[in-house]
Amino acid sequence: MSVDVARPSPAARSDAVPARRRPPKAFDRPRFLRLFTGLFFVFLFAPIVLVVLFSFNSSRSLQNFDGFSLRWYERFFESESLRSSLLASIEIALVTMVVATALGTLLAYGLVRARTRWSGALNVVMLVPLVTPEIVAGASALLLFTQVGFQLSLTTIILGHITFSISYVTVVVRARLATISREVEDAALDLGATRVQTFRLVTLPELWPAILAAGLLVFALSFDDFVMSFFTTGESPQPLPVRIWSAIRFGVTPTINAIGSFMLAISLVTIGLALLLPRLLGRRESGMGVLLGREGA
Amino acid sequence: MTEQRFAAGFLFPGGLWLLAFFLVPLGILLAISFGYTDDLGNALYGWHPENYERVFDPVFVPVLLRSIGFALATVALCVLIGYPVAYYIAVFGGRRKSALIALVVLPFFVNYLVRTYAWIAILGDDGLVNGTFDTQIRFLNTPWAVIGGLTYGYLAFMILPIYAALDRMDPALIEAGKDLYGRPWLTFRHVTFPHTFQGVLAGAVLVFLPAVGDFVSAQLLGGPDEYMVGNLIQQQFFAAENWPFGAALTTIMMLFLLVWMVLYLRSAAREAQEVTA
Repeated sequence: MSVDVARPSPAARSDAVPARRRPPKAFDRPRFLRLFTGLFFVFLFAPIVLVVLFSFNSSRSLQNFDGFSLRWYERFFESESLRSSLLASIEIALVTMVVATALGTLLAYGLVRARTRWSGALNVVMLVPLVTPEIVAGASALLLFTQVGFQLSLTTIILGHITFSISYVTVVVRARLATISREVEDAALDLGATRVQTFRLVTLPELWPAILAAGLLVFALSFDDFVMSFFTTGESPQPLPVRIWSAIRFGVTPTINAIGSFMLAISLVTIGLALLLPRLLGRRESGMGVLLGREGA
Repeated sequence: MTEQRFAAGFLFPGGLWLLAFFLVPLGILLAISFGYTDDLGNALYGWHPENYERVFDPVFVPVLLRSIGFALATVALCVLIGYPVAYYIAVFGGRRKSALIALVVLPFFVNYLVRTYAWIAILGDDGLVNGTFDTQIRFLNTPWAVIGGLTYGYLAFMILPIYAALDRMDPALIEAGKDLYGRPWLTFRHVTFPHTFQGVLAGAVLVFLPAVGDFVSAQLLGGPDEYMVGNLIQQQFFAAENWPFGAALTTIMMLFLLVWMVLYLRSAAREAQEVTA
């Protein structure tokens, strides 16, 4: 039979099995690759570790660690203007998170479920901000605000941040939406629920992990954003990244290490929450899978 | 109410927002790029195509070419560093795959300014490296410092799509290559690399676009000799107060990038259609 020809004899198979266990020949360079990947991670994390380490240095030096101290953090939190910048950054990120998440989620639902004349074009327009260099979005936002006579302030920064954040939310939520079977919604409608009730009671609960993860992602992006903030900021208070920019240009000071480390901590908590969130909600999927749009990955 | 009309309503808030705060501003940018400034430095509308002639002034052409060169070098470096790393994680990562990819993405959430600034402390003339090894190597204010900074900043954009492509690939293909007596290098060249080339292309676009428009790396790690078009634009808006010329520079850059954006968006939109279909 043809099956016998295709399949090796039992004897040949027993030879083949241990050979399979070993990594295939094409992969037989792991030692070099492992070293390379290790070095890569050193390259990736060395500057970050350094910033955090020297933020606790007791001296001004950026070369020698002269003992542990919190003086640069004190310097940071004692400065009233830096404190108001920190609060401004948090306020911007929170408002951006709420508004962009709401807008992006609705847009995702519309793009998946509605087939309108505009859907194709809107889909492209939604993706463009993701690949537009920030300086283009920043410069044009600045022009918009000045042309309509809008005073630059925290509000203009928030408007700019929401604009580049919507697309991230839409992409994440849409990937999630695509995994939800429509039959459940249809069943709710058959049982007498209105469209709004179906969305609120059936669709939305399924989307929550993605919505929350996207919201936290937006918070982190907004909190760390420099370019859009730089173009749309008013006089004061300016968000932290803009303050860092001004400070760096006057030279390297350890206070920047403290600010940077503190921002890092806030971002890490946010992203950590986003990754762990589905678990906290009692779901089995990983946050990484939700953010990358892969169910159960 | 039909489902269609119900769902179409969801498109309005986000759609209108993007229209008002993304598309309209791009239109204003285009309009102002033909404008002029009055004596007070205010940008006014007008018809001054000479703004665009000035973009191609011999003073500025080297800056434009340098931006493209730096961005291309960054893409090349990102492929050279990113491919092996993505390959290692995808093929040998095992149970730790997700954790390793999370580690790759993590630095992306450290403020870009702080990450770049850290390199000043490491590579500066009296920085950590020169201090530790008692050398006097000039790292900063060189083209390679700027390219290195860009590579460091955007590497994750290259690793993620390559990783995704490798992860999708059927390992049986590589075994087949091996069964056909393909030596490792031949198998890689004829099987693995072609199968993940889409990922490399996506990564190249995702790195190239922000790298061309970047001004942080050139400002902090380079100097005026390394300035890129982003620095030029930034100067027009904040120092020279010549917004129409800044807008013309931005428009030219955007037009140049449009080709790559369209290529990328077409494949991304196609992928999205497959997801939602």
